[in-house]
Amino acid sequence: MATAQEEIAAAMPKTLVSQGTEGVHAYIKSGAPYVWVTAAAISMAFIITLSLLILTASRGLPHFWPADLVQGSYQEPGNTAEPLLVEIRSAEEVTTARLQSAGVKIDDSKPLHDRILVKVANRDLLGADFRYLLSDWFTARTSPEDATVFERVEWGNFHGFLVGLVEDGKSVASGADTWAAFNKSIARADELRGKLHDIEKGRIRSINYAIERVRLDERRLQLQGHTRENAAADYAALDVRRKEQEALYEGLRGELDSIKKELARDSLVVKTVDGTEVKLPLAKVLEAYRPNQMNVIVKIGFFFKKIWEFVSEDPREANTEGGIFPAIFGTVMMVLLMSVVVMPFGVLAALYLREYAKQGFVTQAIRIAVNNLAGVPSIVYGMFGLGFFVYFVGANIDRAFYAESLPSPTFGTPGILWSSLTLALLTLPVVIVATEEGLARIPRSLREASLALGATKAETLWRVVLPMASPAMMTGLILAIARAAGEVAPLMLVGVVKLAPSLPLDGDAPFLHLERKFMHLGFHIYDVGFQSPNVEAARPLVYATAFLLVLVILALNLSAISIRNRLRERYKALEG
Amino acid sequence: MNTTGYKSHISSQFNAELEDVRQRVLAMGGLVEQQLIDATKALMDLDTELAEQVFRTDDKVDQLEIYIDEECSRILARRQPTASDLRLVHAVIKTITDLERIGDESHKIAKMAHELSTQERMYENMVETQHLSRQVSQMVRGALDAFARMDADAAVAVVREDVVVDREYEALLRQCITYMMEEPRTIGRVIDLIWAVRAIERIGDHAKNIAEYVIYFVKGKDVRHTPLEQVEREVRGE
Amino acid sequence: MDPQTMTSVQTRTSLGHGIDISSMERSQIPTRIEDESIAIEVDKLDLYYGEKRALNSVSMKIPHKKVTAFIGPSGCGKSTLLRCFNRMNDLVDGCRVEGGLRLDGKNIYDRDVDIAMLRRRVGMVFQKANPFPKSIYENVAYGLRLAGINKKRVIDETVEWALKGAALWDEVKDRLDDSALGLSGGQQQRLVIARAIAIHPDVILLDEPCSALDPISTLKVEELITELKSNYTIVIVTHNMQQAARVSDYTAFMYVGDLIEFGNTDQLFTKPSKKQTEDYITGRYG
Repeated sequence: MATAQEEIAAAMPKTLVSQGTEGVHAYIKSGAPYVWVTAAAISMAFIITLSLLILTASRGLPHFWPADLVQGSYQEPGNTAEPLLVEIRSAEEVTTARLQSAGVKIDDSKPLHDRILVKVANRDLLGADFRYLLSDWFTARTSPEDATVFERVEWGNFHGFLVGLVEDGKSVASGADTWAAFNKSIARADELRGKLHDIEKGRIRSINYAIERVRLDERRLQLQGHTRENAAADYAALDVRRKEQEALYEGLRGELDSIKKELARDSLVVKTVDGTEVKLPLAKVLEAYRPNQMNVIVKIGFFFKKIWEFVSEDPREANTEGGIFPAIFGTVMMVLLMSVVVMPFGVLAALYLREYAKQGFVTQAIRIAVNNLAGVPSIVYGMFGLGFFVYFVGANIDRAFYAESLPSPTFGTPGILWSSLTLALLTLPVVIVATEEGLARIPRSLREASLALGATKAETLWRVVLPMASPAMMTGLILAIARAAGEVAPLMLVGVVKLAPSLPLDGDAPFLHLERKFMHLGFHIYDVGFQSPNVEAARPLVYATAFLLVLVILALNLSAISIRNRLRERYKALEG
Repeated sequence: MNTTGYKSHISSQFNAELEDVRQRVLAMGGLVEQQLIDATKALMDLDTELAEQVFRTDDKVDQLEIYIDEECSRILARRQPTASDLRLVHAVIKTITDLERIGDESHKIAKMAHELSTQERMYENMVETQHLSRQVSQMVRGALDAFARMDADAAVAVVREDVVVDREYEALLRQCITYMMEEPRTIGRVIDLIWAVRAIERIGDHAKNIAEYVIYFVKGKDVRHTPLEQVEREVRGE
Repeated sequence: MDPQTMTSVQTRTSLGHGIDISSMERSQIPTRIEDESIAIEVDKLDLYYGEKRALNSVSMKIPHKKVTAFIGPSGCGKSTLLRCFNRMNDLVDGCRVEGGLRLDGKNIYDRDVDIAMLRRRVGMVFQKANPFPKSIYENVAYGLRLAGINKKRVIDETVEWALKGAALWDEVKDRLDDSALGLSGGQQQRLVIARAIAIHPDVILLDEPCSALDPISTLKVEELITELKSNYTIVIVTHNMQQAARVSDYTAFMYVGDLIEFGNTDQLFTKPSKKQTEDYITGRYG
C-alpha cells in the first residue's frame, strides 16, 4: 500500500514535454473554448447595439434626402389612366393572393408583384399623401426637370410645376422667368416670416406674460383683502403697468398686421400633374426645390440642411412635420434637473448608510430595501409622482404661494419639476448603491492618515473620502442618466405633453419655469408613431427621432464618462 | 574591495560608531607603542621611574580593550554588520587582543628593567637588544599604520619584517648562551635579559598578527599560518 | 587614501597619551530610563476588544526626545499600545481602555480631551505609506490646512521645511505639484513622515514604517528617524528586531498583552534580563 505522498509523487509529471494534446478533453482543458464563448458573447452584444444604430439611422435618415420626382401614368385595369407626380419611397414584393384579397383586380399570371409606396403629396386635393401602386401599372415614367416640391406650412408638401407669380392680383412673372422671380419673393417672404416670428414668439409673448403677471398681482391684492378703496396706490400702479403693456401690444399689433398684409401680397400659380392650376399663397409656402435638377453634392447639402432643420425647429402639423427641438431640449433639461436632484440626495444617503449608521440589522434591511426600489416598475413611480408630488405637494404649494392664479394650477399639475423629481426617485437606488460601493473601496489607511493628522470625521469625509469616491458617484450618475433618459411611462403621468407651447427655459424672469410641461423624445416617438393620423409620413420620423434619442443619451453618458475618467485619473492607484 | 567605504553607510550613526572604534584602536595602538618604547628605554637605562610609567599605562590599555570589546559587541548586536563591516569588527576584536598582549609583554620588559636595576649594571648584549627592540617597535608602528590606512601592502611588509626579527632574536639568544657559558656568574642577569628579549620577540609576533588581520580585513583572505611567499602572492591578487 | 586618515595616523601617538579615559567610562555606562525626562507615562493600562483583553496592565515611561521601540511577536499588542497614544483605537468598535496614559501629565483618555488636538500633538506614520491622492505639496499642507493655516507664504515655507526634515526635498523640489502617488514606496513613506512633522507634533508614532520597503529605503527611513529624534519623541513599532536594535535608544519587549521587559536597547540586545526576551531575540521563541 503506497502512502499518500508516494501516490502524489507518482502522479506528478517526470517530463516537460506536453502529453495528450488531442481529444475533446484536452481541447476543453486548453481553455480555447472559453475564449471563444466569451468572445462570442461580447460580439453579440456589440453587433446588436450596432444594428440598432444602423437600423434607426437607415430607416430615419433617408426621409431627409431629396428624392427625385417621377412623373408617370398609372392605370388600373378597367380604370382610366391617371397622371401622377410622385416620390418613390419604398418597394416590396407582394403575393398575388394578398393583393386580390385586398380588392385589387389582378390575374394570377404572376405569383408575385412589385408594389411601390409613393408620396403623391397635395393632400388638400387628393386626400392622402401616400399611395401604394403596383409597379407594373405605373408606366411612362419620366423625371421632368422643372417638377417642383413645395413645402407648405399646412397640408404637407405640394408636387407640381411652377407656372406663374402673382403680386397683388397682377401676374408679374410667367414661363421661364418664374423660378427666378419666385426665389426672390420667397427670400422676402422668409424675412417677413422671421420678423413675424420674432414679434409673436418674442415680444408679444413677453407682453402677454407681463399682463398675466399684472393680473396675478391684482388677484393677490384682492385675496389679501385690499380693495380699490383702501389700496388705491397699489391698484393705480397695476393699472399703469397694464396700460403700458397694452399700449405696447397695440403698437406691435399694428406692426404685425402690416407685416401680415405684406406677406399676403404674393401668391404662386402652380399646375398639378393632371393639369389643374392652383393658386398657392406665398405666405403658406416655406420652401420649394427641384430635386430632378439637383446633382449629388447639392443633394447632400440639402440633406444636411434638412437634418439641421429637424433638430432645430419646432414641430408642425401634429408633429408629423417640422423639427423636434423642444423635445430634445426638454429631454436634456429634464435629465439635467434630475441629476442635480439625485446626486446630492443619493450621495448623502449613501454617506449616512456607509459612514455614520451603525452597521447592523437595520442598516442591512434599509440597504436591501433601497436595492429593491431599483426593481420597482417605473410606471409605479409615475403613479407615486402624480399622487404625491402633483396632487399633494404641488397642490399645497399652489395654495400657499400661487393662490392668486387658482383655480388654474401652477405646480399642482404635471410639470418638468415633478418629472425630474419622479425620475430622481427612480434612479436614487442606483446612485446610492454606486456611491456606497465607492465609499467602501476607499482604503481605511487613508482615512486613518487624515484622522491621525488631527482631522475630524467630517473633515476626513469632505477632504479625502468624498473626492476619492467621486468616480464611483459619477458611475452612479451615468447609470442614472442612462435609465432616466430612456424612461417614458412615468413621465406621461407627471409632465410630458405632446406639444408644449413654450420651453421650460426662456428669457422671461425667472428664466427657469419649473412648473411648465415639456416635450420628450421618448414620448415624441410614442406620439408620432402611434397617435399620428398620417402613419406613412410619421414612420421615418419615428426612426429619426429614435436615432436622435439614442444619440442624446450617448452624448449625456459620454460627457459623464469623460468627467469620471478625469476624476479617476486624478485619484488613481487607490489599490496596491 | 571597498575598504575606506566604511564611512559611506546610509546610517550616519553606524559610520560614527565604526569611526569611533577605529580611532580608539589607533589610540590603544599609540599607547602600547609608547609602552614598548618606554619599557625598552627603562631596560636600557635601568630607569625604574619609566618602568612605573609603563605599569600605569597598562591600566589604560586594559580599560580601552574592555571598552572597544563592548563597543564591538554592541555593534554586532545592533547593526548586524556584514562583509567588510563584519571583517572590520572582526579584525578589531582580534587586533585589540594582540595590542593588549603587546602591552602585557611591555609590562614584562618593564618588570625586568625593575629587576635588573637592583643588580649590577651589565653592558653586554644591550646594543643588540636595543636594536631588536627598535626593529620590533617599527613593526608595531608599521602594523598600526597599515591598520590606519587599511593598507595590505604595508601589512605584508610587516609580515616580512617578522622573519628578520626572528633571525636576529635567534642570533641574540645564541650570543646570550655563549656569554653565559663564558661567564657563569652572569647567568642570573642574562636569563633576566633573555626574558626581556623573548618578550620583545613576542611583541613582533603580535605585530605580525595585527598585520595579518589587516590583510584579512582588506583582502578578505585569511593569511595566518601561510608561507610568506604565498601571502605576498595573495596580496598581489594572484 | 583620504586626508582625514592621514591626520589620524600622524596624531596617533599623541592621542595615546592625551586620551581622556574618564570620558570613555561615562559613555560606557548605558543610559537609564530613570535619568531621562519623560514624555508619555503609561500607567496600568488595560485594553479590551469587547471581552478580549489585549493589554494587561501595561506601565511604562516613554523618554522625551528618544527613540523607543516596541518589539514582540505578532498579536502581542505592540501596535495596539502604540495606537493608544493617539487614541486611534477609538475607531475600533468595542474597544475599551482602562488606566492612565499621560502626555505631559494630562491623561489623554480624560473626557475633556479634544482628540483632534491630541492627534495634532501626537503624529502617526502607518505601516503602508498612505499619501493622499493629491499633489506632494498638498499632502504636506494637509495638516496645516486642517489647523486653519491658510497663508500661502507660511504653507510654502513649512512644506519645504518638512520635506527637508524628511530628507525628501532634493528629490521632489522640482515636482511638488505632481501626484504623490508617483513616488516610490520609500519616498512615499518619507513624504508621510514629512506630512506628520509639518504640523510640529511633540511625539511621532511609527507603526512598522518599513515593513513594505526595500532594504535601502528602510535604511534611509531609519537614518531619518535617528535624525528626527533630536526634535521629537519617537515611538516605533517593528516586527524587525534588528531594526529596533539599529534605531532605538530604548526597547520594550511585549508578549501577549504583557510588557515583559523595557530598557536600554544595548542592554536588551546584549544581556536581556528576562528569559522570554532572550528567547525571542535569539530566535528560540516558540
